Amino acid sequence: MRRRLLEALVVVSVMIALIVFLRLSVTAQATPPQSTPKTPAPPVTLPKTAWGHPSLEGIWLDEFDTPLERPAKYATREFFTDAERAAQDAERSGNTGRNVRAEVGSRQDVAGAYNAVFTSVKPTGRRTSLVVDPPNGRIPALTARAQELNRRDRDFRLALLQNTDTCKNKMTACAGWQYGPPSPQLSEAPPSYNTQRMNRHNGPEDQSMADRCMAGSEPDFVGFRRIVQGQDSIAIGVDTGQGQGFQRVVYLSGNHPPTSIRLRHGDSRGHFEGNSLVVETTNYSPKFPIRGAAENLKLLERFTRLSANTLEYSVTLTDSTVWTAAWTVKQELTLQKDTENRIYYEPRCYEGNYGLPALLIGARVDEKAFVEGRGPDPASQDTASCLLNPEPQ
Amino acid sequence: MSVKLTIAIAAVGLYLVAANMPLAAHHAFAAEFDANKPVEFTGVVTKMEWINPHVWITIDVKKPDGSVEQWKFEAGTPNVLFRRGFTKESLLPGTQVKVDGYQAKDGTRRANGRDLTFADGRKLFLGSSGTGAPYELARPGVDTQDRK
Amino acid sequence: MRSWFNGSIVATALAAAAVSAVISLSVTRSEGQAARPARTTSGQPNFNGVWQALNEANWDLEAHDARAGMVTQKGVYDYEYARVPAAPVVALGAAGGVPGSLGVVQGDGQIPYRPEAAAIKKQNNENWIDRDPELKCYLPGVPRAMYMPYPFAIVQGTDKIHMTFAFSNAARVIHMNKVAGPPDDTYMGHSVGHWEKNTLVVDVRNFNGKNWFDRAGNFHSDALHLVERYSPISADAIRYEVTVEDPKVFTRPWTIAMPLYRRLEPNATVIDYPCMEFSEEFMYGHLRKQQLVKHWEGETMIVDITRKIPPGDRLHDWYRR
Repeated sequence: MRRRLLEALVVVSVMIALIVFLRLSVTAQATPPQSTPKTPAPPVTLPKTAWGHPSLEGIWLDEFDTPLERPAKYATREFFTDAERAAQDAERSGNTGRNVRAEVGSRQDVAGAYNAVFTSVKPTGRRTSLVVDPPNGRIPALTARAQELNRRDRDFRLALLQNTDTCKNKMTACAGWQYGPPSPQLSEAPPSYNTQRMNRHNGPEDQSMADRCMAGSEPDFVGFRRIVQGQDSIAIGVDTGQGQGFQRVVYLSGNHPPTSIRLRHGDSRGHFEGNSLVVETTNYSPKFPIRGAAENLKLLERFTRLSANTLEYSVTLTDSTVWTAAWTVKQELTLQKDTENRIYYEPRCYEGNYGLPALLIGARVDEKAFVEGRGPDPASQDTASCLLNPEPQ
Repeated sequence: MSVKLTIAIAAVGLYLVAANMPLAAHHAFAAEFDANKPVEFTGVVTKMEWINPHVWITIDVKKPDGSVEQWKFEAGTPNVLFRRGFTKESLLPGTQVKVDGYQAKDGTRRANGRDLTFADGRKLFLGSSGTGAPYELARPGVDTQDRK
Repeated sequence: MRSWFNGSIVATALAAAAVSAVISLSVTRSEGQAARPARTTSGQPNFNGVWQALNEANWDLEAHDARAGMVTQKGVYDYEYARVPAAPVVALGAAGGVPGSLGVVQGDGQIPYRPEAAAIKKQNNENWIDRDPELKCYLPGVPRAMYMPYPFAIVQGTDKIHMTFAFSNAARVIHMNKVAGPPDDTYMGHSVGHWEKNTLVVDVRNFNGKNWFDRAGNFHSDALHLVERYSPISADAIRYEVTVEDPKVFTRPWTIAMPLYRRLEPNATVIDYPCMEFSEEFMYGHLRKQQLVKHWEGETMIVDITRKIPPGDRLHDWYRR
């Protein structure tokens, strides 16, 4: 009954989205597309600190939603038209997201967790992708070594899922894999240090970094950044995810520590070049890779104040062991009101992470039930993928 | 419309919904809660924990025999609510709420709050109009009481 | 005559020393660090840099004797002073003990607990391993973050002062401008500061009451209100004083004071102490499918300490090689 209701709802919502889209495309055709990229305004007096550095102080946020990589259909086009943005917003404002319930008593419904009031949706940004270089807006090809590591990691995760209904029913989370008996890999260590969710919960290390409240890392493109600027160092506090925030200090002098020092947030050294703060970060820890890059990763960030309320942030990621070329992301951040204090003060979830022990307990309960003949083989139960939407890798 | 076509469109629709889902839950809820133990209660809020990664709501549930059981419900993240201007005063102890969710696998009186509503059916934590946060796309009927 | 002559040399030397002290106060610089004026451009004492307390306050704010172990048990003689290290730390030898201290509590040196709170403090002390939030790597709170044995960075901005702590990647922001309070109570408090001449005065409230002051079980409630005073002793030392008020726990306000020292070594940096991952075994080890600690009774960890001494390292062997 519920399922039928859900299907009906989905059909209706698709039709509404279609109508909205068609109407908007008609409007878009009627009026010539406005060129979104604005030519830079005449020079404005940019705020400076008392000691003469360009001021970067405040709470900054990218107020718009922009995909990291550009969909292929936009090729080298960097910006959306206003009509395209409006069409996307119209579609997204009708998206009921988590409010859509699966059948009561199904694991899909449990995986849905809670309703959409707890999720945030930002308006569509003017950029077609955060990646601006390469010009096609896409992350360069992985090196052969990185591809091989990714393949081994993916195969391991899929092997852990192969005995579940997710594979039996050929759901998207099992794409590229076959249904089969429980994999011997269930009792093996993953091919590299685990950072993602897997269909096994033997201990904390089997959980994703998010489960362990350690997922936050720079470069972060979605969270709030509080920048406090001193004469010889700059503090950046990041509030991102569900309490996955972190703190970093950029020193304006000194050198990176020896390569034996491996830090979750790296070691950041900065200097000013004209109106820009340029920050180089190295010494990343292999336990906290960023899209597979860690020990050889170098970040080059640029913070440039464009106006009283706008800060341009760009970051170039270089790791020749992972990517065949360096790539650059650019975004415009907007100054947020400091007085309202709407950012989470302590942007972490470690102290309140009741979920981590609870899901380990859940796994032990399932195992005991199986051994005592009261429940299914845990290997046949998908407790990892969200069943509807596979986690992005 | 044939059944086949309905399913095809439904599949497309699910894909769209999935693609637009902003974030997966912080942790695997299916690992923590039991699909075979759906629960539905009305009770009085005795404690609110506005903590990351998930808000926890403690309620006293009166059972038919008159005894009172304490249940704890795991909801979504407080971050988004704070950004919309909610504070710890926004849901005070004493409020009557209705919770529908799934009990924890270990059988303790914990559950996820799949849907949280006031006793009169209004969704909990919804704004009356607009979301309050200037950078948020308003989703009428989703995160406000207003419908399109 | 001769003695007068000698005296004048001493006086001249003292004067020269004083001048050089003034000079060294005006600019501190060590290799790998930027030249740092003693005052910021706005004229306030320059607290930018890496700092650390150098005392035993994190063990116990009050004066205390050195102890044989972080955890001790009754020895063969039944005197308090004859206790011996207990299982969790016995394998650490002299590295597992507690250094003594004259204490940092001002006045009579005693923390003025209400009677019922004094009982809780005693229980906390007896259940240190299970109750101290430090062992779980929780945010350390204020003032404890200021005197834990880890460095922290101060970044002195225009209307904020930011502190980033090595322990647990904790941080606090001192608001020098007017902002609304936090939406909910916090571990690190809501800090509002202003300058009184050379002294930074910070009012801290909005605590959630889950923190301790030290490893001795000294604690507070959510009614905690602090007034911190940061005064320069020199360019490289701050007198840090905190008045503690919490009517739910203490009979009157009380004060602690200590110096904070600038880390002067070249390239001084706050190296993160990522204890969240370090404490997972301590917190969740009993929930593993294959446990690393072999004896768990429910949540009770039973630590068998096997100290197998390799040949050549037996008592005195190593020293006689």
